[in-house]
This record gives sequence, C-alpha cells and structure tokens, in this order.
Amino acid sequence: MTATEAGARVVGEDERLARIALNTIGEPGDPRLTRLVEAMGPVELHDRLLADVGLSGLRSETAARLEGLDPRRILDAATAIGVRFVVPGDLEWPEQLDDLLGVEPLNRLTGAPLGLWVAGPLDLAAVCRRSVAVVGSRSATSYGTDVAADIAVGLAAAGRSVISGAAFGIDQAAHRGALSADGKGSTVAVLACGVDRAYPTAHRDLLRHLKENGAVVSELPPGCAPTRVRFLSRNRLIAALSQGTVVVEAAVRSGALNTAGWAMRLNRPVMGVPGPVTSAPSEGVHELVRTGAATLVTRAAHVLELVSPMGSHLTQLAREEPSARDRLPPTDLRVLEAVPLVQPAGASGIARTAGLSVSDVVESLVRLRELGWVVGSAGRWRRSPDEPLG
Amino acid sequence: MVCATTRTVSLSGVTGHVVDVQADVVQGLVSTTMVGRPDASVSEARDRCRAAITNSSYEWPTTKRVTILLSPADLPKRGSHFDLAIAVAVLTANAKPEIEQAALEGLVMVGELTLDGRLRAVPGVLPMVLAARTQGYRRVMVPEAHAAEAAMVPGMDVLGVRSLAQAVCVLMGKEVPEAAPVEPLADPRVLTWRGDRRAEELDLRDVHGMEDARFALEVAAAGGHHLLLSGPKGSGKTTLAERIPGLLPDLTVEERLELSAVHSLAGDLTAVAGAAARPPFRAPHHSASKASVLGGGSGRVHPGEISRALHGVLFLDEFPLFAIDIIDALRQPLEQAEVTIARGDEVATFPARTMVVLACNPCPCGDYHPDVRESRCSCSEVRRRGYRDRVSGPVTDRLDIVRHITPVRPHRLRDPLSRPESSSAVRARVTAARARQADRFAGSPWRVNADIPGPDLESRWPLTEDGRGLLDAALCEGRLTRRGAVRVHRVAWTLADLRGLERPGDEEVDLALALRLGEPLPVRSWAVSR
Repeated sequence: MTATEAGARVVGEDERLARIALNTIGEPGDPRLTRLVEAMGPVELHDRLLADVGLSGLRSETAARLEGLDPRRILDAATAIGVRFVVPGDLEWPEQLDDLLGVEPLNRLTGAPLGLWVAGPLDLAAVCRRSVAVVGSRSATSYGTDVAADIAVGLAAAGRSVISGAAFGIDQAAHRGALSADGKGSTVAVLACGVDRAYPTAHRDLLRHLKENGAVVSELPPGCAPTRVRFLSRNRLIAALSQGTVVVEAAVRSGALNTAGWAMRLNRPVMGVPGPVTSAPSEGVHELVRTGAATLVTRAAHVLELVSPMGSHLTQLAREEPSARDRLPPTDLRVLEAVPLVQPAGASGIARTAGLSVSDVVESLVRLRELGWVVGSAGRWRRSPDEPLG
Repeated sequence: MVCATTRTVSLSGVTGHVVDVQADVVQGLVSTTMVGRPDASVSEARDRCRAAITNSSYEWPTTKRVTILLSPADLPKRGSHFDLAIAVAVLTANAKPEIEQAALEGLVMVGELTLDGRLRAVPGVLPMVLAARTQGYRRVMVPEAHAAEAAMVPGMDVLGVRSLAQAVCVLMGKEVPEAAPVEPLADPRVLTWRGDRRAEELDLRDVHGMEDARFALEVAAAGGHHLLLSGPKGSGKTTLAERIPGLLPDLTVEERLELSAVHSLAGDLTAVAGAAARPPFRAPHHSASKASVLGGGSGRVHPGEISRALHGVLFLDEFPLFAIDIIDALRQPLEQAEVTIARGDEVATFPARTMVVLACNPCPCGDYHPDVRESRCSCSEVRRRGYRDRVSGPVTDRLDIVRHITPVRPHRLRDPLSRPESSSAVRARVTAARARQADRFAGSPWRVNADIPGPDLESRWPLTEDGRGLLDAALCEGRLTRRGAVRVHRVAWTLADLRGLERPGDEEVDLALALRLGEPLPVRSWAVSR
C-alpha cells in the first residue's frame, strides 16, 4: 500500500483527458500507439497528433478525428452512469499492468492500456493485487464449470480475488464461484466491450451484480461493441492483472489459450486443470501441460502454492497413509508372507519358505503374535483371521 | 321361456372379453350347475344369486334343473362381478318375473350381489366397460358407485343401480324402487399422512446447481425416456426423480382412461374416482416382490407398480438392491412398453408406457465420491465390481439417459445469482416438445419419441449423414451397443423437439450420446433450448 501511495502522483486533468482522447480513437493494444505513448507521454502525443498536417498539407485523418472529440464530455457521460477512468498514476491503477510495457506482441497486440474504464465499488488496485485469473472455454462441460467454481471458491476463501471475462461457461462459473464463497469473495470481470454493455446479454444479471458488488473493467470506452480483436486485447489485461492464470477446459482454438499465452509472456504462472483425455474441451489444456507451458493443478490449494510467495501455501503430496502392514520391519514382513493362511505350519517350514534362519523366524513369529498378525499353538503357526488395524 | 342370455365381461389383464351368460331352466333332476370354466369366486355366485333372488322377493327355480353356461366356455373366468348377469339370466329364463329377452340385448351387466340383493362395487369396472365398448356394446349396467367411472368411457349409456330389484325394474320398464346406496369400494388405507400429497409440492425451483441432471430430467420428460441416476448417497437422486412428474404435461383424456383402467383393475378406486389429471409417480421399496412391481399375484393377475405408473414415472431407488429377477424382468417393459404375465392357463398383458427412473449408488456402501478428496468409500474392489455388474448389464443397456450425480457443493447454495428454474417453466418447454411429437406422430399409436420402434425410427425419421457417422463411430469404438444406438437416435429427436428443430443435426446426436454415456454435458446445451 505504501509503495503505491509513495509512487502515486496526482494525474493532471490534461493528461487524463489526453488519455481518454487517445483511448477513444485507437484500438486497445495497438503497438504503434502504445510505443508512442511510452516514448513521448500522452499529452505530447495528443498535441502532436492534433497538429499533424500530414505530408500533403491536408489534415491527417487522426488529427481530424481527435479534433472532433470532446474527452471531457466522454468522461462526464461515463461518470453519470457510474463509470470512472483509471490511469497510471492513480491510486487505483494496478501497477502490475506496467509489465505489459515492451512485451513482445502477440497477435500484433501489446503494451499497457492507456487507462481503464471501471464500474463497481471495489478498488481495482487493491482487488487485483492478490488475484488469480480463472479462464476457459465458452463451450465448457458441466465438469469444467464445477471445477472452475470449486477453484474460485477456494481462492476466494483464501482471500484471492478471481479475474475472468464474464463469458459463458468457465468464466461465469469462476465469477459465481467467487461470489458464493461465504460473502468474502471478490471478483473482477474484464470485458471486450464498454462496461455499460451487457455482453453476453444472458449475463445481464451477473454483470449487474458485479457492478454493484465487484468490479467490471474494460479498456474500451462505454458504448463500444465487442469485436474479435478486442477479445484478444482484453485477454492480455486478464493475464496482466492477475498473479497467475488457471485454464479450465479450453479446446485447441479457445481464447483462453490466448490468455495463457499472455501470462507466459508476462512470466506469470500458467496452470491447467486436466479433463478426460478424450474430451475435446480439455484438449487445449492438455497441450499446455504436455508442452510444459502450464503446471497441472486440480484444486485451489495447488493454485495458491504457485501464486503465493515461495514456501507459503505448500501443499502436501498426495499419498496414502502407510498401513499397519507397511510399518512392519522387513524381516517380519518376510516371515508373515511365509505363514500359511489356513493350515498351520511349524517354524522350520516357515523358515524354509521365508529363506531365513529358524531362530530369526521364531523371534519374528513371537513379535507378530503380539501384534495380532499370526496365531500359534503347539509350535504351529498360521495367519490370524483378522488383520490388525492401525 | 326356458333359456335366457345376458352379458358380462371377463378380464384378463386389461384385455376384456364379453361373455355370454346363458341360463337354462327346465324340468328334471333338481340341481344347479355352472359350466364354462368358472373359478371359485364365480362358482360361489350360485349361492349368492340364489339368496339375493329370494331375498329380493323373486323366485329361484328350486324345483327345476338350472344350468348356467358362461361362454365362450374355454375362457377362464374369475371375479365376483358375474352375479348380476347370472341372476338376471336365471330370472329371465324362469320367467318370474317376466323380463323380455329383448330388454337384455346389447346390454352388458357387471356387479356382485349380496345375500340381501344389493349390488356391490367391484374392481375393474372401467376396463370392463372399455372392453364392452370396443366389442360394440353401448349399454352397461353397473353398481351405482361405479356409474361415474363407467361414464368416463365416451358414448356409453350407463345404468347405475343399487340392487337386484332396481335392476329388474329397470329392465322391465317399471318404477324403480328405493334402495340403500351402495358403498363404494373402501379406501383400503387406514391412515393418511401428509406425505400422501407431497409430490404436488415438489418444485425444481428448490434444486440448486445440478444443471446437468436438471437438463437430463427435462429431456427424459420431453421424450418419455428411461433414466439412470447414479450418485453417492445424499446426492439428490430422489430429490430429482420425485420432481419428474411435475415436468410432465397433464394427462390427455385417453391417457387418463388408460391409467384409470389400470387402477380400476388394481382395485385402487380412490385413484379412479379422482381420474388423476396428473401423471402418476410410483416408488416401490426395494423389498417389493416381483408381482408387485411387474404384475401378477395369486388368483387374479394384478397390474404391478410399473403399470400403475402408466404415463407417469416408476422410480426404483437403490435398484441393485431389488431382487435380481425383478431387475431382469424389467427388460420387457423397458423395450416394449408392456408387461406380459404368462401363467399356466392364462396370459395377461398390462400396459407399461412408463418412464422408468432407476437410481443407484456408485458402490455398495454409497460413500464413493467421484472427487477423490470427498470419497470415503470403504468397499473392496471385488465388492464394487460385483455391484457394478448388477448395475450394468441388460437393463442399463435399455436405458436412454445415464447421469452421474455429484452432490451439490455447499457454496452453490450461497450463490447470489442462482435462480433455479421452476418446474412450470420446464414443463412449458416439455409440453411444447411433446406437442411437436404429437404432430409428427399424428395418426399413429405413438405419442412420444420413446414409443417409436427402432425400424420405424430408421426408415421414417433417420438421422443426418453426419449424425449417423457419429453413432457409427461410437459403435465401432465399442462405446455403444446396437440397442444403445437406437436409444441415442430417439433422444436426439427429443433434443431437436426441445430446440424446435425440423430434425436432429450432429450437435443433437453428440449431446444424446453424451447423455447416454454418462459423460459431462456441454454447458451450452441447456442455454440453447431456453
């Protein structure tokens, strides 16, 4: 918190408006725009684009578009519907987005966003500081949505917020899982359209709930419609906002793999939940795990282990408790194996079968009788009908 | 007149034969004989009729030779409802009082007499009247308690009478004397309890999560498909199954008649009186006998639970615990929608167009959980395999939809956005899908996709090339049996009906396959039909 506060500066009105203007005319993740912003800052870029007269002396198209734009009005209209514009330097700006600066382009997209349009009561920086992205196929199976919800519940219970894209299938299961976690779950939806739009329309209720209780985020100004490329640039935000990305069910062409690709570029952990090997919706995840790009996880604890500081949240290796038989010393075990089940045998016969000396066998048999493994009378031994417990 | 003929109906299963009752009263060695394969209760009619006639102030031909023939003579007859026809035949033959044979033409009589001449209610009146109607009769005389039941059969002229004296007066066109009302067959239940009407209060709205199973229920209800729910104890199998009747549309008049006929046979008159508009739900306990589940019993062959659930749902919870011969005997009804009970001299067939819903645990102890973290199963692999062998096999091969139920996660109940659909919303879609089927099958005996025999399905409602290919691939891989392929084919049509499609495409076949094979379903499946 202190780091953010120390690093925070008051963002000037002109810069905010310049960012809005550039944000409005450009497409999210356009490498040309982000590079120029990085190089000269938003205000100067805005002014120079506005003054750009082009080679022939005719006004350039961009300049014309910028001139026709009133960023103040866009901001006011957004404020009126409860949407704010968060820019670098704001207290609410999630600094992990700066990792996107200079990242190698994916699908010809890259770079940090110029700002984020946010709706909802949660503080974006605070909620994303400890967060995990849970993404996956729109055409998920009930298995996938169950697992996604379970993981989201577990993450939320451990104080992590869940970031996803509010799409059908895994996304919505992840959001709703987080919301179901005993009242303390927070979740953030990152959209590929304006935050005022309900897309997909069937998730109107989900988005309204998130706007009232969580946070809905988009790089696009209110009113914008989703397009194919906007989904791709949105994916880079999901990966960049979170500490790690869990992919639950993604077919080989799923957008969730694109999100995973961004997480890899950002050196954040990529995790994959396996499904049946015959299931098409899990094929992409299996490929991620197979190629070593993702770590296999099956529950929230596994995810927490990967996204938490090293050494915290360690999980136990899954293994069976050793049985009473497993705990027997090797000699006794060897003798026990040689004791007949039904027909009692003498110690010498048992010694022959076990390949041990008679005195060792007798010692062993006495120990085994005390533990209840064998019964013996008149020097003849057989297995006890009931195996000792514990 | 020395010889008179009346008519009644002999039942075997729900098939009824109109039987001629002929009485011949002549001079000769005094005796009363009854011929034509009467069983004990029919033979007793002789004594009942004699007393009833005398006590109604008529005259029994005590000094004559009386021969009563029930024909066709080779058909076995059982039941006590022959009394009225026998008594009237004897009175007519004896001509004291003089009843015109003409008054008896085209009339079927049903009813048991008491010694004082009153007419008692008997089970099975409705199917008898139905049988009479199919054989061209338009008039019936029944105990008054059954008049309403008999009148359910359209186009029947029903004469409800309370006593032999009333019957005779009606036949002679005389003024009908007063008589004490006939008590209806008593409701055999000595207790009623709240659970009695529980089914009507059950709504899918109360079931959170389990979208997968909810969807399976909807599909099963829409096409009348058989369903297997497998899951650990407490996972909600019963909760789901009990809600299936609520998803089914009201019974049609025809279905109501058929169901009432079965109930009438079973002597369950409360059900007949209500002429249930809602589909029945029967859930016999696993200790039930084969006769109670499938039909049979000593003496008269009774319809079993599967027939009493006609057009509704038969739910067998923990079905591997049912006697093995019950499970095996389910094969015929699952495949042919009827049960045939064959005994030495008699073959009775009951309808069984019933959705069969089976539930089982994944292992004998019931604690097995598909999630390793939750599984507390202590069964040995051998025991588990033995259990699985009972579950899988010829019966499960005849089911259309298999679902593995996972217990609802506690967090699902806290999901602020969970708004489970109500049964009525689902019923609306099921009703629409059933209407599409009714249109398609107009003029045929079929009502839902589950009724269509395999060959007709193939020839008249084939799958697309691609859909066929999917089935063939599953067959080749050994994931599906031939019989299973037909089942998938039917379910694919139901999915098309739910989605309002002209015919199923490969997506529907794919989904039907997943439903049959117990695989997780694509989440979008239930979004599409809404």
